[in-house]
Amino acid sequence: MIETPTARLAFEDFGPAIPPRPAFGRWLAGTIAGWTAFVAFLLFISWLLLAIAALFARLGPIGAAVGNIVGLILILVMVTATLLTMADRKWSALMQDRVGPNRARLSIIPGLRNRPLKGIPHVLADVLKMLFKEDFIPEGAMNNKVLFNLAPLLAFAPAFMLFAIVPVSPEVTFLGQRIQLQVARVDWGILYVFALASLAVFATALAGWTSDNKLALLGGLRASAQLISYEVTLGLTLVGAFIAFGTLRLEEMARLQGMLGPALRSAVVLAARAGDFLVRDDSVLFGWLPSWGFVYQPIGMILFLVAAQAEIKRAPFDTPEGESEIIGYFLEYSGLKSGLFLIAEYAETVVVAGIVTTIFLGGYHLPFIEPTVVRHFDFAWLSVFQVFAFIVKMLFIIWVMFVVRWAFPRFRYDQIMRLGWKMMLPISLFNVALTAGIFLWAGREGLAWMGGIEWLAIIAFVALSARAPRAEEAPHASH
Amino acid sequence: MPRTDLSPGERLYLREAVRGMGVLARHFWKNLFGFRDPAPEVMERKGRGVNLVSTINYPEERKEYPPGYRGMHRLVPRLDGKPRCVACYMCATACPAQCIYIEAGEYEEEAIEKYPVRFEIDELRCIVCGFCVEACPKDAIRMDTGTHAPAVLSRPLAVFDKESLLRGPAVEHSTDVLTYRVPLKTPPR
Repeated sequence: MIETPTARLAFEDFGPAIPPRPAFGRWLAGTIAGWTAFVAFLLFISWLLLAIAALFARLGPIGAAVGNIVGLILILVMVTATLLTMADRKWSALMQDRVGPNRARLSIIPGLRNRPLKGIPHVLADVLKMLFKEDFIPEGAMNNKVLFNLAPLLAFAPAFMLFAIVPVSPEVTFLGQRIQLQVARVDWGILYVFALASLAVFATALAGWTSDNKLALLGGLRASAQLISYEVTLGLTLVGAFIAFGTLRLEEMARLQGMLGPALRSAVVLAARAGDFLVRDDSVLFGWLPSWGFVYQPIGMILFLVAAQAEIKRAPFDTPEGESEIIGYFLEYSGLKSGLFLIAEYAETVVVAGIVTTIFLGGYHLPFIEPTVVRHFDFAWLSVFQVFAFIVKMLFIIWVMFVVRWAFPRFRYDQIMRLGWKMMLPISLFNVALTAGIFLWAGREGLAWMGGIEWLAIIAFVALSARAPRAEEAPHASH
Repeated sequence: MPRTDLSPGERLYLREAVRGMGVLARHFWKNLFGFRDPAPEVMERKGRGVNLVSTINYPEERKEYPPGYRGMHRLVPRLDGKPRCVACYMCATACPAQCIYIEAGEYEEEAIEKYPVRFEIDELRCIVCGFCVEACPKDAIRMDTGTHAPAVLSRPLAVFDKESLLRGPAVEHSTDVLTYRVPLKTPPR
């Protein structure tokens, strides 16, 4: 008789169906614990960035620069960009009532057996997958092997270099060292962004051309045209901000959006002498409005966000990629080179969010409470909270960009060109003229009034603009 | 020739775009903070603070199958724990997939002489038609487990033997021959 191995599977192994709905108290406790942990983690990261910078600053000015490169570019931008690959999928899932990827597990670690961990292990899985993929070079690209291999680097490097001029903290004494979380403090400031951002054109054009693939070439051409078109708008939208702040340096712009150092110090000293618990923030406009860039430059901010979205080729401006029609300029790339293009896109998102935060959302400034924080803690602690505020604002802008990505359908190529040249360019020119005029006439306070009126006008314009006609009421002519 | 009959205001689609972003943001926060309602039907989920995700994470979470679902087989035990099966081969004969293998044996002391020494069902061959349940004269095989055959890593593991199949609540009918009945400790359901 042949012995067959047989299954020994108990029916008890099939557990109950769906776990019961948690009690409200338990859910509340879990939510509060989770968010507290998140905030504590961000605060720790803020402290860590400052501590790294202070540690390296002991080695002299070059050491300080290296410390900032390590802290800001290798840790802040790189980790954020890596996590954004996951956040993109998870957030889009939440917006579309899905769960999102949660199958990758770290079961080899005993405590984490069979726990989804909110999908974070997928980051690891993706990186491993890309590392072990075949590094394929198509036959047609063999003639231009150097250029073919150069393209992903050209996409990757500028994206990370861009963050060099973004100030994440003010100049502060931390752990006995005079530091500022900013890699490069240069006179040309924001011009550096425009110069380096245009380098991305080389990456797309080279990738599209050397791939020896019609669709990749199409993607490269579209990307080149789009990037060059939107660069004009990108530059002009910020001219208003230059006028309002009177400088090109990002750290100056950030500093001007809150209370200045000596004024802050004297206000704190006076409050301490008087025994006040709260210290008034003198930079706050009309007593309730933080004096941040979005107050002075509403049109500039919105146009810059749109132009930047186009400049980093994210949806709805992703015709160069257009995964459902042409795969895009990186069609022939595989493995880690494809990953470089991917991570460069997310790094650019982080950089754009950082620049928008610095120029329009007050940079590292906390609203209203900065003097009070200094009164009860000190400047070092304030800087930790400021780095925290910067990261939170940056994450918010990134979130807004992701919402935009999933709310809009992809524009057609001619629509992108029309929007860029016929609408956004004239509006940004108008904005420059208006800002300059108002600034000459009434100074920065006049700009604040202008900004308020502009915000009201924008809200009214959106609210009063035509609703989409219902399909059954107004059948459209076929195109 | 105009490319569209939309008015310039409609072509801007600003208002609808902003509204769309609002819808996305609302769903995002609702799903981020909301907690899970176990009702498997999305339409039945009510109340505040419930998120809108309708996914059932399958291996960890399972929907209850409806009553009458033809699931995995079980050999119905008697009250004394032995199978009700008398090894009459009716199920194996009725089976169109020929997935049931029975070897009969004999009890020495009981009035029912026959019992299955081996009773194996190859769940990979089984087509879940339920003919075996219909054919059984002794109500000894049922498909009321509410589960389906599990995924296995090799084919022999899908062959379920008597010990694995002999599961679930015991069944006693008034028509059963009295001599094999054990004294009832608890009244039958």
